[in-house]
Amino acid sequence: MRRIISLCIAVLLITALTGSNAFSKNVTLPTSVTNEGTPIKGGILKVGIVKDEPFQGVFLAELYENRYDGAIMSYASNAIFEMDGDFLINDEGIASMDVNQKENKVTITIREGVRWSDGEPLKIEDLILPYEIIAHPDYTGVRYDTEFKNIIGVEEYHEGKAKTISGIRKIDERTLEIRFKKLSPAIFSGGDGLWTYAAPSHQLKGIPVKKLIESDAVRKNPVTLGPFKFHKIVPGESVQFVKNPYYWKGEPKLDGVFVEVVPSSSVSVAIGSGKYDIVSGFTATKWPEIQKYDNIEILGRPELYYSYLGFKLGKWDPKKREVVTDLNSTPVGDQALRQAMGYALDVEAVSEVLFFNFRQRANSLIPPAFKTYHDATLKGYTYNPEKAKKILDKAGYIDIDGDGFREDPKGNKLEIKFATMAGDTIQDEIAAYYLQNWRDVGLNVTLTTGRPIEVNAFYDKVEADDPEIHVFMAAWGTGTNPSPSGLYGKSDAFNFSRFTSEFLEETIQKIDSPEAFDQSYRAEQFRIWQQYMAEKAPVIPLQFSYEIVPVNKRVKNYSIDFENPTELHEIELLAKEPIKSK
Amino acid sequence: MRRKKKRYRKKGRARGMQVVFREFQKDRIAMTSFMLLVFFILFVFIASLFIDQEQLMRINLYDRYSPPGEKYLLGADQGGKDILGQLIIGARNSIFIALAITLITGLIGIVVGLICGYFGGWVDYIIMRIIDFFVTIPSLLFIIVFVTLVPKYSVTTFILIMSLFLWTGTARLVRSKALSESKRDYVSASKTLGTGDFAIIRREVAPNLSSLLIVEMTLNFAGNVGIETGLSYLGFGLPPTTPSLGTLVSYANNPAVLQQYWWVWLPASLLILFMMLAINYIGQALRRSVDVKQRLG
Repeated sequence: MRRIISLCIAVLLITALTGSNAFSKNVTLPTSVTNEGTPIKGGILKVGIVKDEPFQGVFLAELYENRYDGAIMSYASNAIFEMDGDFLINDEGIASMDVNQKENKVTITIREGVRWSDGEPLKIEDLILPYEIIAHPDYTGVRYDTEFKNIIGVEEYHEGKAKTISGIRKIDERTLEIRFKKLSPAIFSGGDGLWTYAAPSHQLKGIPVKKLIESDAVRKNPVTLGPFKFHKIVPGESVQFVKNPYYWKGEPKLDGVFVEVVPSSSVSVAIGSGKYDIVSGFTATKWPEIQKYDNIEILGRPELYYSYLGFKLGKWDPKKREVVTDLNSTPVGDQALRQAMGYALDVEAVSEVLFFNFRQRANSLIPPAFKTYHDATLKGYTYNPEKAKKILDKAGYIDIDGDGFREDPKGNKLEIKFATMAGDTIQDEIAAYYLQNWRDVGLNVTLTTGRPIEVNAFYDKVEADDPEIHVFMAAWGTGTNPSPSGLYGKSDAFNFSRFTSEFLEETIQKIDSPEAFDQSYRAEQFRIWQQYMAEKAPVIPLQFSYEIVPVNKRVKNYSIDFENPTELHEIELLAKEPIKSK
Repeated sequence: MRRKKKRYRKKGRARGMQVVFREFQKDRIAMTSFMLLVFFILFVFIASLFIDQEQLMRINLYDRYSPPGEKYLLGADQGGKDILGQLIIGARNSIFIALAITLITGLIGIVVGLICGYFGGWVDYIIMRIIDFFVTIPSLLFIIVFVTLVPKYSVTTFILIMSLFLWTGTARLVRSKALSESKRDYVSASKTLGTGDFAIIRREVAPNLSSLLIVEMTLNFAGNVGIETGLSYLGFGLPPTTPSLGTLVSYANNPAVLQQYWWVWLPASLLILFMMLAINYIGQALRRSVDVKQRLG
């Protein structure tokens, strides 16, 4: 008897061990690596950013719009706060923050002796300038949103009625006071309108706000606070950084960093031939291509990211700076149709086969990395074409003329235009597969412009509410503040689906309200919000992601752990060049 | 002693065909190419009638990169689509497009060339300037721009766009021969007799160009097969939902496909090579057969 039991256990154990294959779920990678050896002096860290088009090159936090410029700027960051593992501001950074909930004000104190990369000392005016840029009547960027208006005096300044922002006050050479209309827990994550970067007023002060984005100070020679400073920029291609001798934590050990854009088709070979020390933006679809390389260590962590299907349900009013929803102006104004389109998509197969389970189907608009707020009980949308067909039948979408495509409830032909970004061939396959999924439930979905759209042109069209786009596929890097304010509010330029309702605005306000300092209240409001969004479906989340970062073995220490990331100025290298794979 | 009657004494044209036929007999490679090509074209056109293109191009993610085996005779590509089916329909598309372009450009080129060459003078001058204009345009770039701009483009629009730029080569060739022919005595004689211009062109000048034209169009055909596959390879040819040999070859840009999943691109490349070589050999045999000094047979 005992022998049979132990035999069963042994069999179970063996099948469990051999059962894991390339498609094993719940795959985890280490978050940090340490390589043995004596570090060389100096050296240049080589970073590759996976991108098939040139980068935009807007190197000012107040004006940049995409994550590639953000990733490049992180080496010369102007961020004044540091965050802990729960994405809450601590006082380890250049500035520390004291929150006075009762009086709705925040006092920010900057350290002594902090200097810009050109030697100029950091002053309080540098912290005030970003607010004056973003709220300026001529501001051309996207950061003036619902959250930002929470600062007292900002709207008057924006309308030109005031010369300065009344809620922002310099107390002394190192202290700044900001008064808000209301405070919520978001303030601890850098929300509620708080701006967490400084801008070099000595460099920018002469430049009119509407000319900022094209100025040399933003495109060619930005002055920065981070461990490295911009040295040479080849537009769209690469940036050469050299060490910032004035960095407040001490001179970096590296001589500099070289950041370059690398096309997705050649990044795997580049990694093997030792072209880069670190690769950012490496997609999981290429996972098998780097398995055989012995010159790298592959790190991973859950990504603050989700991809989604967005429906265009209205327009952005640039004068009033708010979203105007009009469900009748688009064929996808019907909630049932949107829900059916969500159930029709086989995102599970895409995640499993193309992304090797490094992505999973998303059930909500809050990534699981935010443990307190992510609603794991929400069912969300799963692959269920039968359910999609039932919903469409019930809502009156019947195929009258027998051509295989459903007509709308009024009997008119239904053609839905879908916009997606051009990428590598995998992206094209995914787009083609989703179109096939929709065809299978009888929906005639075609590509806007007939083909995937180049990334920059794509966002231009989406932001401009191009009438040729009814539904589109995009993604968000959520940043450390999970609040929906900024992406789904009435005054948010980033609210690409142009959907707003009273209940939605109320719920968003509640999430970032003084009551929400009570964790359970905030979690409950988040839950209500996620369920409301799932039902109304102005956007349908598609995938959560697990980030993969290949690191060359000549980097002595590297960690992408949120609690304990590597300090850039402390990175050391073990060889003159990155190590090549055998 | 009776001399064997030479069997091949027939009307003028047939005599020409006999010459060609003999040339092929002597050139083994051209003969084999011709037979293989005819067989291949027939096979491709007939087999493609039995293939449902929509079913063929359905993406089956779980069959991604299947190696050649029972389910997929020549394996599957990154969307799980059968390679063999794509080869057949892709080859049919390439041949059909190349044929259509060759015929259209040939027709336009011949007509324009004959008119230029026969009439000469200011007619010739004006048309030659138009041709010069088309020649100096970077045609490949224009084709790429057209393909990117035209919203609903298909096989037909592709053929029309290509034909727009490719007729000039034939036109110039035909024009130079027509010019020299038109100065010959028999043409002058016809004119003196009062025969109409177009009748002369049709009945007397054109037939003398036929051998040149057949060779030219055959070699053009080989080139045009390459154009469609080349543009599809670059991504500016047929849309990805239409099977194409060029698209299959373009998958080789991915190093993983190049090294591991050879069945995706190798059969397509070999097929393109075969078609162009075969047509080329046939064209060369034809060219030799019209020139007495070069004949082998």
